[in-house]
Amino acid sequence: MTHFIQTLISGLSLGSIYALIALGYTMVYGIAKMLNFAHGDIIMVGAYAAIVCVFQLQLPAFAAILFAIAVCVLLGVVIERLAYKPLRQAPPLSVLITAIGVSYLLQNLALLIFGSEQKAFPTLFHIPALRLGQITVDGITLLTLGVTAVIMIALTLFINKTKMGKAMRAVSEDKEAAGLMGISTNRTITITFAIGSALAAVASIFFGVTYVYIKPTTGSMPGIKAFTAAVFGGIGSIPGAMLGGILLGVIEQMSKTYISTLWSDAIVFGVLVLVLIVRPSGLLGKKVSEKV
Amino acid sequence: MLKAENLNVYYGKIHALKDVSFEVNSGEIVALIGANGAGKTTTLKTVSGILRSRTGSITFCDENISHLDSYKLLGKGLAHVPEGRRIFLQMTVQENLEMGGYINKRISKEDLDHIFSCFPRLKERRGQIAGTLSGGEQQMLAIGRAMMSHPKLLMLDEPSMGLAPILVEQIFDIIREFHKAGTTILLVEQNAEMALRTADRAYVLESGRVALTGTGAELIQSDSIKKAYLGG
Repeated sequence: MTHFIQTLISGLSLGSIYALIALGYTMVYGIAKMLNFAHGDIIMVGAYAAIVCVFQLQLPAFAAILFAIAVCVLLGVVIERLAYKPLRQAPPLSVLITAIGVSYLLQNLALLIFGSEQKAFPTLFHIPALRLGQITVDGITLLTLGVTAVIMIALTLFINKTKMGKAMRAVSEDKEAAGLMGISTNRTITITFAIGSALAAVASIFFGVTYVYIKPTTGSMPGIKAFTAAVFGGIGSIPGAMLGGILLGVIEQMSKTYISTLWSDAIVFGVLVLVLIVRPSGLLGKKVSEKV
Repeated sequence: MLKAENLNVYYGKIHALKDVSFEVNSGEIVALIGANGAGKTTTLKTVSGILRSRTGSITFCDENISHLDSYKLLGKGLAHVPEGRRIFLQMTVQENLEMGGYINKRISKEDLDHIFSCFPRLKERRGQIAGTLSGGEQQMLAIGRAMMSHPKLLMLDEPSMGLAPILVEQIFDIIREFHKAGTTILLVEQNAEMALRTADRAYVLESGRVALTGTGAELIQSDSIKKAYLGG
């Protein structure tokens, strides 16, 4: 039982990192109707930004986190402006290919700047482990769970209660009608990319302190998993991305512990296939009837 | 107040508006009538900046708005209730109205209360998801949403579409009330009789051209209009 709870907690922690990344995929999809496959690589950039900040610039952990967030937000917004905005009227396939291109561009730029060797991520936090009876939860896990919970609550409130959040939902539902309300689609898309990239930066910090070693392709696997999580939960749905991410993390951790480490990814993707067969729009996705 | 001159709009190779010119003076109700596909909706969309004219110009309150982005027009005082209502179906009634007041710095409670007093039905359903409203209620919401920003000119695209006659009367009563309170109205309608009875002046569109223009009273008496649009 203790072992099971321990596994569940680390699954929740991994899942909340996936959820943070999945939110970026799902929000951008909801607003701009595109799959931003470069989103995973934003995590890699965030991690390198923190490494540079701590080891080269000798700045404290707090500054490193803010720096990583700033770099990712700026990068996300610049990518949207330069790569995606000119394609607003283009067929979806062109946008998708561009996103994959941006992903390779970021990976190769990182290869050029930082080389192919792994870099160690700094130990940013020193938090004592929590012991509850026989269960031990390490500090990083606690912090990950706590911070992502706060972020998710804040994001939900932002989307549902603020004027900007409501405008984002309006744009996501009907761009033309939102335009007639005086809402600028371009501005809304920029804000969406900024929020998504900030969440990816936070994910990059937790990913870094948990997995320690960073290389130029670091972002691709969590990126794919988070995309899977977003589809799993219902792409376009914010609660769906949170649920999908957390479930995915728990399933992955459980498979690793109780079935096989080698098979865990196969099991994760297998579950996705099963869910999509039963519910093609994902767990919390809306049933979309194709417009004719 | 609104002046459109020589609009020529194309959908690909299809020439949808051919040298369309019309004018709406401050305080008027002007109707654009015509059959399906005559170019009524295209005209409104062009005024709103959703479509672009290749020639001519659109002037609103002495300002050339031909090249303005669609989202900037509401701020100038030009509101557009699009065809098919296009309310935000997944948002609540109140949230839809709040989006109508998006351009105001703050969402004002007085504006909301004012719209709710015009549409008591909406007040009862303020927390309900808009997609669950009936057709008539959705049309009320679409009009209420557009009025949240206190526009100078309200453009309505087929407000009677798909509604029972009694609801059409209700909707037109509300439009006349907003007009009395000082809003200029540009109305697109297939329901020619209703439109001509309401409007001060009207333009008849036929396959993308302005075929006829006159006061509502003149047109409703005209033989060709009777034959083509009023069923006898």
